[in-house]
Amino acid sequence: MHPLAQATTQPLPLPEVDWRAIAPELALAVAGVVLLLVVAFWPRAGRGVLAGLTLAGLAAAAALTVWNWDLERVAFEGAVSLDGITRYARAVLLAVGALATLMVAQGDSREGEPDDSPPEVFPLLLFALLGMVLLAAASDLLVVFIALEILSLSLYVMAGETRRLAAQEAAMKYFLLGAFSSAFLLYGIALCYGATGSTNLLEIADATGDPTADGTLLLAGVGLLAVGFLFKVSAVPFHMWTPDVYQGTPTPVAAFMAAATKVAGFAVFLRVFAGALGGLVVSWRPVIAGAAVLTMLVGAALAVVQTDLKRMLAYSSISHAGYLLVGVAAAATVPAGVSASMFYLLTYAFMVMGAFMVVQYVSRLGPPDDDAIGERSSLEDYRGLARRHPWAAGLLAVFMLALTGIPPLSGFWAKYYVFLAGIEAGLTWLVVVAVISSVISAFFYLRVLVVAYLQEPVGDPGAETAPGRTPALGVALGLAGLLTVAIGLAPEALIAAARSAERILG
Amino acid sequence: MLLTATLFAPLAGALLVALVPAARQESARLVALAASLVTLGLAVVLAARFQTGDAGFQLGMTAEWVPAFGVSYRVGVDGVSLPLVLLTAVLTPLAIAGSWRMADRPRTYLALLLVLETAMLGVFVSLDLFLFYVFWEAVLVPAYFLIGSFGGERRVYAAVKFFVYTLLGGLLMLVGIIALFWLHQQATGTPTFDYEALVDFQKAPSTQRWLFAAFFAAFAIKTPVWPFHTWLPDAYTEAPTTTTVLLAGVMSKLGVYGFLRFALPLFPDGARWAQPVLLTLAVVGILYCALVATMQRDFKTLVAYSSVSHLGFIVLGIFAFNLQGLQGGVFYMVAHGLVIGGLFFITGMLEERRGTRRIEEFGGLQQVVPRMGGVMLVITLGSVALPGLVGFVGEFLTLLGAFLENRVYAVLATVGVILGAVYLLWAYQRMWHGPLEREENRSLPDLTRREWAILAPLVAAIIVLGLFPRPVLDRVEPSAQRVVEQTQAPSP
Amino acid sequence: MNLGAFAPILAMLVLAAAFAVLSIVVSAFLAPHRPTRAKYSAYESGVEPGRLPQGERYPVKFYLTAMLFVVFDVEVIFLYPWAVVFRQLGVFGLVQMGIFVGLILIAYIYDWKRGGLEWD
Repeated sequence: MHPLAQATTQPLPLPEVDWRAIAPELALAVAGVVLLLVVAFWPRAGRGVLAGLTLAGLAAAAALTVWNWDLERVAFEGAVSLDGITRYARAVLLAVGALATLMVAQGDSREGEPDDSPPEVFPLLLFALLGMVLLAAASDLLVVFIALEILSLSLYVMAGETRRLAAQEAAMKYFLLGAFSSAFLLYGIALCYGATGSTNLLEIADATGDPTADGTLLLAGVGLLAVGFLFKVSAVPFHMWTPDVYQGTPTPVAAFMAAATKVAGFAVFLRVFAGALGGLVVSWRPVIAGAAVLTMLVGAALAVVQTDLKRMLAYSSISHAGYLLVGVAAAATVPAGVSASMFYLLTYAFMVMGAFMVVQYVSRLGPPDDDAIGERSSLEDYRGLARRHPWAAGLLAVFMLALTGIPPLSGFWAKYYVFLAGIEAGLTWLVVVAVISSVISAFFYLRVLVVAYLQEPVGDPGAETAPGRTPALGVALGLAGLLTVAIGLAPEALIAAARSAERILG
Repeated sequence: MLLTATLFAPLAGALLVALVPAARQESARLVALAASLVTLGLAVVLAARFQTGDAGFQLGMTAEWVPAFGVSYRVGVDGVSLPLVLLTAVLTPLAIAGSWRMADRPRTYLALLLVLETAMLGVFVSLDLFLFYVFWEAVLVPAYFLIGSFGGERRVYAAVKFFVYTLLGGLLMLVGIIALFWLHQQATGTPTFDYEALVDFQKAPSTQRWLFAAFFAAFAIKTPVWPFHTWLPDAYTEAPTTTTVLLAGVMSKLGVYGFLRFALPLFPDGARWAQPVLLTLAVVGILYCALVATMQRDFKTLVAYSSVSHLGFIVLGIFAFNLQGLQGGVFYMVAHGLVIGGLFFITGMLEERRGTRRIEEFGGLQQVVPRMGGVMLVITLGSVALPGLVGFVGEFLTLLGAFLENRVYAVLATVGVILGAVYLLWAYQRMWHGPLEREENRSLPDLTRREWAILAPLVAAIIVLGLFPRPVLDRVEPSAQRVVEQTQAPSP
Repeated sequence: MNLGAFAPILAMLVLAAAFAVLSIVVSAFLAPHRPTRAKYSAYESGVEPGRLPQGERYPVKFYLTAMLFVVFDVEVIFLYPWAVVFRQLGVFGLVQMGIFVGLILIAYIYDWKRGGLEWD
């Protein structure tokens, strides 16, 4: 036998496979693979069948999440941790996934026209969710990176799922800038590994307290990690891609990106920064707080001048990322920062998805576009919506007011909770900036309502084409609206659940 | 329970109105009127059950809402809030009756009026700071749609300006509320927004100052105190008249009520620190807005400015920190609500008949519509505080309070009284007397039965409360006295 | 940080770069210079080189094939080290590699059924 081979005959340490810990992720993966095979062997399967299968997969994952609800442990040698953040994010993400499935199932084609988007969007949705759920549970920087890539790659493809030019452009931009930010993140991971000797968040947390560790290298790594995460959650000054991508990509995908990516991104942001790097809070808090100020103000200010609703929602999502960053900045020193951010993500996800659902509904009205570049989402298309489609306009009003933070809708409690955490952490100045940004944001949310309610419809409303039957979208809209109002009236249970998510297991 | 029923009866009515089928829009008016009358009935029962002489909160109700945040549903009335609840309950049915002929989306309009009533009642009866804030912001939404969807030409501008201004103030107050909550939790360990607990909680004078400033932002904008009033003329002028009645009659009281109920007892040191500023702003507002009102050609804008000017008296009375001033302030709130409501109703009736509100378009109306002129005279005199009418009692008491506190302010404010008489009587003279020059004015119909039904209760209240203010003042006095004591209490 | 351990790698980098530069420079000086048209045209694996017509794009099929190749190439890269320690990993390794190969197989089947392997 070759001498080299002899040297390695001792048994290797094998990792223990904790199947139960990743059961929901496994369910999503299996469902995604099954759907891929269905698409391969039965290309003519209707959207209803595919959506049904997707929902079944999500339901299975949800059931497993409930089964795991009280499980708190670190699995796979610290690569995955099950704690409050994990289960809260899982629950929110699966709910968001279900709503997105309904939106995707509705598609953007009208009655009698061929479906524009390919059936692959369903398995891709599941794979993206798999990445997101895994991202929220990851407690090793390498798992963070892999999960991020799973979700990003799926989203790059989903962004270009239709043949519209705008969607293709959005997919390309998203891919290029996403790859760019992944490189930052990876470099940051490498530097953190160089400084602490580990990619495991628990070990990094221990190492940050070690005075002999290489401080400069670690700080450089933390900075690059911050850049990578800020890219993913679209915070200023790394937000440039967001408006173009949200505007160009098909509305269901934009909704999914706006809601789910933020949930997963902020879950990992909290885990890494407030959890593992909590010892360095003095170093990173000014950076995050500064990014929060910029994000809130720039997002709100640029949203004011938009004339396209999807683009405006993109800027609004940027400014909401700013409020969430206030929560992240607070989270390292006050646990309420974690629960406030998680609760914010929950309410924000439903509000913003609801708003995009209305966009999807309205884009089906009016004559089909002849240029086939983008969807109909200009504010002009909303003129007099209240008279033409009172229900859609009413829901739009609910979502816009909730996004503004008017009580007693869900967005109000979220904003309140984040403000509370900020003040508790001694960041009162940041909260005052958030208040100013909220007032600016009232301008553009109200402008949508002005257009929808206070302006007369253009042209002859009778000549407009009907939106066609929209059962899936109708159900999704109803759910999002119901949740936004119900959480506003009785937020207690969900706040309590968010409170239980405060403890980070590294 | 009774109070809760009063509070949510209009909201239930609004839901019923919204459920009326589109084909039978007319019956929505009956539903809305019935709902508002039920509310009035409940409010009257409430007043009857009220124990005169008791300074504390009565007829209250407490329930958990969001215990995680220490937020509860806690309501109650005392001598200060009860008159305002009644005022709201009286003005809303009148406003609904005033909108009887409305052709444009009556269902939506009436439902919004009723939602507005619940939100405003909620502000008056909340005894939990958070609940108070929720109702405070909830007022904005129906008011925004009422102004922006049904108003005049520049309605969108007016509505957005109103919304953003008030939202800014409200959010700053929210920061103050959170900070207060947080301080209290740190000191005592119990998370609560309970009004009484937070009043009893001792706050350092320096903390009180900036907390007062945060609350001031909300109340000064809502009242409005000069120079935060610029949204008001736009909003009042552009809003449909019956909305303006509620905005001027009730919503403008939310701000002064906020000062009285929250800013003073919660932050006595802060309030005393800010007293000179508030008194000065009040006097400047009285004089400035009176002068601006004199210059107006649009009668509705004139009344809007007169409203800002008169609210200055209420602020003056409240910040006198003595029984006369506070009692007078509360009474003046009621009086102002009745008078300004009447003035706006008449403006609306004239506009319905002639399609304009410009003063020079009228003249000599007394010859054509004498009954309307008579009513107008009573209301105008009530507004300029003729002794024997309702405005006099309020104005006299607030000025007396201010005089006892600081003579200079009182003397200056008295000049405002004279100016008030000048612009209102001058406008009255130009519109109702003189030669009947315009051809269009010759054939104006006089008051209809519906219009009588709207104006008669107001006129009756203006005269009766002017002659017999005691029943109101007796109920206000203990609670006002309590506020005085809380405000004068020495800091630790 | 101790960079001394990296010294051999640095030396190798320098040597490699020097060798590449040196061979190009030396051959430029020493080699005879007799150009023909065929020598100047681009090397395309024996295919007759030709300029694409104006505006025509390079067929995307080439990229798809290249990507499929990369996928299986990477699979093999994973298989080799696994084969080396196959005995130590035992059943665990077999199951893990089964999952890995299975997933790639499914992707392959999908690609096949959706027409990814058809040239025209």
